Amino acid sequence: MIITKKALPRRTFLRGLQATLALPLLDAMIPAATALAQTPAKPVRRLGFVYIPMGCDHGRWTPAGQGTLGELTPILAPLEGVKEQLTVITNLRLEQSYPGTHDTANAGFLSAAFAKHTESSDYYLGTTADQVAAKEIGRETQLPSLELAMDLNPLAGVCNNGYACVYQNCLSWSSPTTPLPSEAHPRIVFERLFGEGDSVDGRRAALRERASLLDSFSDDIARLKRRVGATDRARVDQYLDTIREVERQIQRAEAGAATNPMPDLDRPVGVPAAFADHANLMFDLQVLAFQADITRVVTFQLARELNNRTYPEIGVPDPHHPTSHHGNDPEKLAKIAKINQFHVSLFARFLDKLKATQDGDGSLLDNTVYLYGSGLGNSSIHDHENLPILVAGGAACGMKGGRHIKYEAGTPLANLHLTLLDRVGVRVDKFGDSNGKIEDLFDLVAL
Amino acid sequence: MRNGSPGALPHVRAVTIGLAGLALAVTLGVRAGAFAEAPAAEARIAQTSPAVGAVPTASSHRRTLDRYCVTCHNQKLKTAGVLLDTVDVADPAAGAEVWERVVRKLRTSTMPPSNMPQPSDEERGQLLSWLEGALDRAAAARPDPGRTETLRRLNRTEYQNAIRDLLLVEIDAASLLPPDESGHGFDNVIVGDLPPALVDRYISAAQRISRLATGRTQGTLQSDIIRVAPDLTQEQHADGLPIGTRGGVSIKYTFAQDGEYDIQFYLARSYSGDIEGLKGSEQHEIRVLLDRRPIGTMTVQRPPDGDDSLLDRNLKIRVPVTAGPHDVGVTFVRNSSSLLETARQPLLAHFNERRHPRITPAIQQVSITGPYAAKGGGDTPSRRRIFVCRPAEAGQDDACARQILSTLMRRAFRRPIVDADLERPLAFYREGRSSGGFDAGIERAVGAVLFNPEFLLRVEADPSGAKAGVPYRISDLELASRLSFFLWSSIPDDALLDAAIRGDLRRPEVLEQQARRMLADPRSFNLTSNFAGQWLQLRNLDAVSPNVRLYPDFDDNLRQAFRQESELFVDSVLREDRSMLDLLKADYTFLNERLAKHYGIAGVYGSRFRRVTLAPESRRGGLLRHGSVLSVTSFATRTSPVVRGVWVLSNVFGAPPPPPLPNVPALDGNVPANLPIRERLAAHRKDPVCASCHRTIDPVGFALENFDAVGRWRDHDGDNGAIDAEGGLPGAGTLKGVAGLEEALLRRPELFAATVTEKLLTFALGRGVEYYDAPAIRRIVREARPDNYRFSSLVLGIVKSVPFQMRRAS
Repeated sequence: MIITKKALPRRTFLRGLQATLALPLLDAMIPAATALAQTPAKPVRRLGFVYIPMGCDHGRWTPAGQGTLGELTPILAPLEGVKEQLTVITNLRLEQSYPGTHDTANAGFLSAAFAKHTESSDYYLGTTADQVAAKEIGRETQLPSLELAMDLNPLAGVCNNGYACVYQNCLSWSSPTTPLPSEAHPRIVFERLFGEGDSVDGRRAALRERASLLDSFSDDIARLKRRVGATDRARVDQYLDTIREVERQIQRAEAGAATNPMPDLDRPVGVPAAFADHANLMFDLQVLAFQADITRVVTFQLARELNNRTYPEIGVPDPHHPTSHHGNDPEKLAKIAKINQFHVSLFARFLDKLKATQDGDGSLLDNTVYLYGSGLGNSSIHDHENLPILVAGGAACGMKGGRHIKYEAGTPLANLHLTLLDRVGVRVDKFGDSNGKIEDLFDLVAL
Repeated sequence: MRNGSPGALPHVRAVTIGLAGLALAVTLGVRAGAFAEAPAAEARIAQTSPAVGAVPTASSHRRTLDRYCVTCHNQKLKTAGVLLDTVDVADPAAGAEVWERVVRKLRTSTMPPSNMPQPSDEERGQLLSWLEGALDRAAAARPDPGRTETLRRLNRTEYQNAIRDLLLVEIDAASLLPPDESGHGFDNVIVGDLPPALVDRYISAAQRISRLATGRTQGTLQSDIIRVAPDLTQEQHADGLPIGTRGGVSIKYTFAQDGEYDIQFYLARSYSGDIEGLKGSEQHEIRVLLDRRPIGTMTVQRPPDGDDSLLDRNLKIRVPVTAGPHDVGVTFVRNSSSLLETARQPLLAHFNERRHPRITPAIQQVSITGPYAAKGGGDTPSRRRIFVCRPAEAGQDDACARQILSTLMRRAFRRPIVDADLERPLAFYREGRSSGGFDAGIERAVGAVLFNPEFLLRVEADPSGAKAGVPYRISDLELASRLSFFLWSSIPDDALLDAAIRGDLRRPEVLEQQARRMLADPRSFNLTSNFAGQWLQLRNLDAVSPNVRLYPDFDDNLRQAFRQESELFVDSVLREDRSMLDLLKADYTFLNERLAKHYGIAGVYGSRFRRVTLAPESRRGGLLRHGSVLSVTSFATRTSPVVRGVWVLSNVFGAPPPPPLPNVPALDGNVPANLPIRERLAAHRKDPVCASCHRTIDPVGFALENFDAVGRWRDHDGDNGAIDAEGGLPGAGTLKGVAGLEEALLRRPELFAATVTEKLLTFALGRGVEYYDAPAIRRIVREARPDNYRFSSLVLGIVKSVPFQMRRAS
């Protein structure tokens, strides 16, 4: 049976919530059958996105059957501990990423938009889902969103197929022309979250110093506006918006300096040598950011498209990209599966941590939804069909877990973005090329 | 803060620079006359190569077009969006954009396609000289210099260099600022954005640098970890460390204050977690060096119970260090007994536990933390640079602060400073002084100068009264910045700034003299490291990691040697002001023992790089034979004739192939993977859609097939039999091997010169080169020809060109 959105049984799934939750369960228990039930479920409080490059080995990824999530496939096996809060979605697609490339896979993943084919600064994409969400749920926090990655060195020289490297480097765009650079250095992330200084007074003094530098910078930028012509004034206005944004962050941090205790983590100094150690540290920083409520929106590029990282630690000494052009060679497919599983295991460790961290009445995981996946399906032929997609967490927000939802081939990934945006309280009719919402992911309780 | 990877060998570079500076000085002033020529003189020399026989007319050009081009490029088929049936060939200037595309295709013989009827050389030449002549005349009459973006921020390299030249502090900008995006092949093109995270980082960077430069740590510790590349073999002597040592690292590090610092290090461990290279009861002596003097010694050996988990937890010494830049070294004393014994095939690489393990222990990372018991800022180059005065008595503080700041701000803002400019930094100074004294005040003010739009942004604004769309000459100050950011990727020095402020710089002889002076300065190494590093994609070497089974002898030592060879080679052409054509064919290169062994060249010993004159049978010499270029254009498991072909066509020949068409099937999805690469590509070319580009691309790459994926010469490719290096180049027919390819490229040197010029111009302007730049490029190449395309003739050609000196008003 193919579940289409019209044929959905309006049923409530309670499985999976009993273990960790008490109160939020009440929201979830409101029968959806009472159509238009007006008692609201909690909106999704935090949203995260993890990107993996170069698709997956579908054979070892896709669960058998549909509906209830049965035995986990080899790649997904590490997620056993959070299975009750996990939904696997099959057959989603990125239409706008064609003609198929690595650049458009990354660019389209959160934007579902068409990447303008250019190598210059006239690149144009679309505002990404995380940034639309951040405008709603990021307003109150010190950082509206946090952009993380793992690759310390950006690609140099000519990128790919005449696409500017931003498409490959940046997952998150705050407007169609504003890609947000991501950070891979744990110490710098830590300093963005917690600033300098090791005491409340020290942190406050450091923040005030930053604020006064920024004041002065802002005046000088404003003066610049008089020097430039009409066409360039728009750019100066963008700069001023940026400055106001940074100002706001500093104010928030100052307000929070007294209430957010320093985390129980040594200030990281370097970048761990092993990939897993580095990734785990980056995930830990996300836990800390949520715990201290410094941000509620995170994007994390776990590896970059086209990268040639080798994984000797899991028995894959071959570089990822050429291996992903497997041409159905069983040996190469097995290696891709190993890489897929390795990445999933890092994500699983993170979800376990979220689950183990108290947040209000439940756990951080209950109040957080993460989307994990790739913008390529079969990387061997650069297609954007049947993307590997997981949605995890969110039990307190009405998210049903323990499911495998199989759509008709070609269902837009944007439908999922639209659904998540709806759940964080952003009311839009359409996102990218969406043509509906992802049914059966959340309890059908109107917000 | 630290600078440089452990593999960098700056002092080798310094030697080369010193010698080469003399060579360049000799040639100074020879070409001053040509410099005086104003752009308007273009018309006089525009018409080139008059046709033989009948005088060609517009109608004969139309016939040539109709016969060879319009078959595809017509209104019905619209091939590549180029419609040549309707444009007016009698007036090329009216359709300059499309005609420049035609010129490029005709020049490089990439059109008509090789499987279509070809015009005779005479027809081709006549049409070309007609088009180029008309386009150049029109450009001379109405120059279009294009428009660089008004607001451009310093990129990471420029920021690092500017800090070095402003404060005499070496920083590692990569640890302070987010990476830049690349456009048109260079990272100084897309620099108009200013996202919040970057502003945030600019503030932190300004604060950290101002503390480091003024020697104030504000009570916090400086702490940095220097990681050694995990695939660095450490069995041999490493350049930069004393003789008698093996392995280890040498780190350039700037200490903020006089005081005591912890230097701690860890040993390399295998996947299983054991320290590598500890065997039996053999002892290994580790030396810690400061400026090459031993300051500490430790000995390690395998613990009796074999449990080494705590063995390197406390390899740490605390030593007094004076503030300022120092070399920190951590290395091993070479054991006379440690013969390189291995159970497997002897390889040079030793870092992989399972295949070619380390024989002796290695350093994995070094951390430096301090100061403890700090004793103040001390006497450092940066403090001498900043504190140009000291308040002699109370009450003179402000006057001295003004002097310090105006000196600094003139350099930082690249313009004269007036009193009003000083107000804000002085406010920061006063705030700091009231809480922490004079030095604290200066530290705060320096931070405010560094976090200032006038330092961080390069602004090129239209002068008041500029008419929309009309070109104007940029100001002397703007010209000074264009020149220094082109040649040095940094701020102007005092001499250049003085000339601009005097209003002298626009005088052609002053401009040439400044440009030549700057080329002779060591800072122009930037053209090698930064420009050529991106043009030739040497920067991507860090991402090169060949398959360890197929290429077990590849390690970081080889990777760094590849980079060194190419950098020293390009720099020699620059320093000795040689012809750019030497880049493609030379009888010398730079080698150390590691690289010489890789290339199979005998008689080169030791880790130090030196210039080596090559015998013809060495098969080395030009860039196309460099391991760097050959490996960045290969995949991890095999060569890629396609990537190599695209590299040569784009970066040397000047005919970049178009990107793949939508929905072209990938090679690997359709063709059996076990065929030799030549056969796989032949299968790919069976599809006419693929063939349209690959018929041009693949033969160029095939010519380089004698070099494997790590740049070694080979006559056979494993089970696939003898290498067939028959290749081709558009307009040159078939050719044989790398020598044939070089010969074909050098037969049309103007194409290579034009390609280098185009790349240099992109880098110089920080924007993509457009059709309206083509006349300027042709002129530069034409004028450099009598000089045999000497490096300086191309650089100076750019400096005096219309796009470099002018800008179109918005």
